[in-house]
Amino acid sequence: MTTITFSPASEPAELSDKVSGAWAFILIECATFSAYFIVYMLYRMHDPATFAEAQTHLSPTFGLVNTLILLASSWQVARSVHSARAGRYDVAWRQAVLTVALGLAFVVSKLSEWGFEIQRGYTFETNDFFAFYFFLTGIHVVHVLLGFVFMGVALYKLHERDVHSEALEIAGIYWHMVDFLWVVIFTLLYVVR
Amino acid sequence: MSNALVEAQPLPAPLSERIAWQLRHNRKLDLWIAWYTMVVFYTLFGVVFVLMTEVMPPPGPDWSTERIVRWFSDTRGGLLNGFAIIFAVTGMAAMCNAIISYSMWRMSVSKAFSYAYLIIYSLAAIPGMLFCAILLTVGALRPERDPKLLVWLYEAAFLTFVGTMGIFLVGTLVWMIAILIDKNRVLPAWFGFLNICNLLTEVVVAPAWTARRGAFSWNGSVAFWIDTIVFVVYTCAFIWVLRRMVERETFSAGAAP
Repeated sequence: MTTITFSPASEPAELSDKVSGAWAFILIECATFSAYFIVYMLYRMHDPATFAEAQTHLSPTFGLVNTLILLASSWQVARSVHSARAGRYDVAWRQAVLTVALGLAFVVSKLSEWGFEIQRGYTFETNDFFAFYFFLTGIHVVHVLLGFVFMGVALYKLHERDVHSEALEIAGIYWHMVDFLWVVIFTLLYVVR
Repeated sequence: MSNALVEAQPLPAPLSERIAWQLRHNRKLDLWIAWYTMVVFYTLFGVVFVLMTEVMPPPGPDWSTERIVRWFSDTRGGLLNGFAIIFAVTGMAAMCNAIISYSMWRMSVSKAFSYAYLIIYSLAAIPGMLFCAILLTVGALRPERDPKLLVWLYEAAFLTFVGTMGIFLVGTLVWMIAILIDKNRVLPAWFGFLNICNLLTEVVVAPAWTARRGAFSWNGSVAFWIDTIVFVVYTCAFIWVLRRMVERETFSAGAAP
């Protein structure tokens, strides 16, 4: 099959398709996570004593640090999108790299926290609370790793000076969703008593 | 659809003549056969696994030996007849893989994607349904056998059915990447992203290997119910976008109309 070459006029429609597709994806992901949160709350309502007791064994420091790291990374990706829109691609590229670095710091912090909890004897099988703790934080980390792929594509497009690309826009939308989901997870697991 | 294809439509005639005309003249006959085969396959899959064998939703992983033995006896007819249908139509899965591979063949991406998907999904029926069907058929054949063996067959069947998702994860990833980097617009970008939702469900089922009860067990609200809802949405979506692909196909090189 022959590979076609796009005329400039056809590109905006395709890119717009991708952004709207990304938004549809974000909505479905948020709906799926909402279902996880509802199930968590139902289990919590069913056994509030176990959940309240187990919750005290989590480290609020880790939770807070993780939240601050992700909020900072979201701020960086927003700045990167603004810089790219202004045509300052070098600055946008550096800010996107910083976003990824903060994302890596989040993953390292999360792995350390898991190690800390497991060393103290709290695992997936300890009780329902820790099952949800490891599941929700685990599936969230998978989303962060997926975010690195989105950011990787965005960095490549920035490096190539692809002015038509909306890869950074999509990566930014996705990264904000990951951040938003973490804030909800942090609230449910660490804060709500 | 091109003018040539529109003009080639048959005039109103008895159904048998219209079918004969389609068989002789429809340029997309092979694609439509593949698409309808896929629809029939997934319909049969749903009827057998949900209604006949009662494998979906799965019974409990924490059931007692007595209850598992009773389950094999109670559902014996459904298991034997239902899985007989599955064994007869398993080959139809090849047509599903073929039309999906064709979608990648039609894209601007390397043919490696199409071949990779075809090879990965040629294995998919084994963990996706055949292991489960064979193990439960063996159990249903002689429900009077040693209860320990029945428990083994039961657990192996449901763990392989729900828990072995690596093949689907990688296959979905291949299709997703192909759609998102394709420049021929064979399939919509939103569907490319929807593949991510489906491949993540393959990760979510992983805890089913250790959880004997609760949300993460093989019949749990997270590992089974939420995953299944996402899977059903995804399956309906890909059947629909593949239909649109066939309708839009003009067999010319380059972007789809």
